Amino acid sequence: MRVAIEAVGVIAPGLRDWESARAVLAGREAFAAAPLAPCMPASLPPPERRRSSPTVRLAIATAEQALGRTALPAPGMSLVFSSSEAAGVITHQLCEVLAGSRDVSPTQFSNSVHNAPSGYYSIAMNAKLGATSVCHGPWSFAAGLLAAAVQALCDGTPVLYVCYDSPLPAPLCEVMPVVEPTAIALVIAPGPSAAAIATWDLEVAATEGEVAWPHWMPPAWQANASARAFDALATLCGDGGVSAVLPLSPELNVRVARC
Amino acid sequence: MQSLAVLSYTTTSAAGPGKAAIARALREERTGLAPNDLAWAPLDCWIGRIDALESVVLPERLRAFDCRNNRLALLALEQDGFIEAVAAARARHGAGRIGVFLGTSTSGILSTELAYQGRDPVTGKLPAAFRYDTTHNLDATTEFVRGVLGLTGPAMTISTACSSSAKVFCLAERFIRLGLVDAAVVGGVDSLCHTTLYGFTSLQLVAPDICRPYDTARRGLTIGEAGGFALLERGAGALQFMGYGETSDAYHMSTPHPDGDGARRAMLEALARASLATGEIDYINLHGTATPANDLAEGRAVHAIFGTGTPCSSTKGITGHTLGAAGITEAAVALLSIEHDFLPGCSTTREVDPATQCAIALRGEARKLRHVMSNSFGFGGNNCALVFGKGA
Repeated sequence: MRVAIEAVGVIAPGLRDWESARAVLAGREAFAAAPLAPCMPASLPPPERRRSSPTVRLAIATAEQALGRTALPAPGMSLVFSSSEAAGVITHQLCEVLAGSRDVSPTQFSNSVHNAPSGYYSIAMNAKLGATSVCHGPWSFAAGLLAAAVQALCDGTPVLYVCYDSPLPAPLCEVMPVVEPTAIALVIAPGPSAAAIATWDLEVAATEGEVAWPHWMPPAWQANASARAFDALATLCGDGGVSAVLPLSPELNVRVARC
Repeated sequence: MQSLAVLSYTTTSAAGPGKAAIARALREERTGLAPNDLAWAPLDCWIGRIDALESVVLPERLRAFDCRNNRLALLALEQDGFIEAVAAARARHGAGRIGVFLGTSTSGILSTELAYQGRDPVTGKLPAAFRYDTTHNLDATTEFVRGVLGLTGPAMTISTACSSSAKVFCLAERFIRLGLVDAAVVGGVDSLCHTTLYGFTSLQLVAPDICRPYDTARRGLTIGEAGGFALLERGAGALQFMGYGETSDAYHMSTPHPDGDGARRAMLEALARASLATGEIDYINLHGTATPANDLAEGRAVHAIFGTGTPCSSTKGITGHTLGAAGITEAAVALLSIEHDFLPGCSTTREVDPATQCAIALRGEARKLRHVMSNSFGFGGNNCALVFGKGA
């Protein structure tokens, strides 16, 4: 399965955009942790910015970076958003209220859906094509990437793929230890294109043991399904022929090879 | 698109476990809904609870997945010979060549809600026995179902609120078309929980009485729980999945576009993929939640495409709004209506709201049905329309 990668966005503590991530992934600069300022996506209208959750703002800010690096118009893209736990802090707040007064805030309830980030994004960008919101636990990055690639190829339209993890508060973080935010966005196009950064061949294959994490990456990010993206992004820094392995399930991997 | 064969399907809801229960309920216009009797959520409304669910026990090897949502998944899988049909497909294609794509909106969140009620009063810690990954995580039921069915092909969960288990049909079609899998189990499961009962109540979208879709006096939805599955494969069959449309309203998080613009585009896209003209759709199973806004927007969108020539009904008066499981529940109703040549009515609706414009079939009737459309819309302005048909 062959797709073109048109643009990338990255947000993580110490990686403020694709430029800074590329320097680390290519080995030109050492990774240096740095606290992340709260994301304030410019495209989100003020009422939605006020109502939305930190996860929504993280996802949209990362998407905005990728959109800023492609000439393809946002309304012409289908959406695939992926996260292992998108509601996160909202789930915590809802469960606290439900264990007490049960006086649920209507805004919080509408924000609790897994597809809140893609919903807010579609409003911000007037993106009216299909929006799919994927979860596959720790394998959410590879699963979302496949969903985005098959959509781009079958529908013949570019797809904006965003994968993100937002920190969870206690006590939820005891059972799902996401403590730092990481997010990546890819604009994926169906065919070869002059503007593309690279072309990827994607293949589903049987696993061959545990997939190692990048050596530079903070161990805390290993709880983040979206952090699996960094191996795939590293192929965009090298020459043709480099590849990455992304876990898709206990039995399967997705192999990404740069053509 | 090339149609896919629907080799097997099953549905479990408040109407009862399995296809025969809901087929009978549709014919007899007997609702599965009842006044809320949940001791743990004493709200003054109706619900669609599955009685048989309370006694389901998970197999020992999958006990870590125990929660209301996965019990419902198991109960649903065990109906209508579905497990046997998947086993036969597994023998034909191999376990790794069958995908599993399921939808849910809240998965086993009830387990987390209960864990929060049981937090340590001093440390605030969750009970030691609580498992998040195998119960509440949105992918938990997909992994559980993979385990029950012994499948190892690509799998994932779609969670787009109330369109979730409709959109899995679209994802499966793309995976099959590109040869990533030879067949796919699609479906979805959503179970009663505090989050949706109190959440929809906070939005003033829950009816105090039973839900009455498209009624002039409709006052909101009735929440139900449901699980269902379908087995899709390349090729021809007696029942076929023929087309789909997916769109976004880009309008509001929890209110549909007033003219149903996104819904209209989803239906048109589904017709185009199925290569069918409007006149070739014999029945539309509406999303029809019975909220004032949904039915008005959807009705107008249907009318804009089909006029008053195509009979429509919402079967949520029988099952309630089963949220993330609504797509598969109503896909199953669409398939049943084709199989039995029976057009379901709106069993709880008394007087159709003329402002909704489309042609509501109040009472069910025997009628030849060749092509049926099913609509599912969710929060985030997320729309999906599916088309099913009778094989040659």
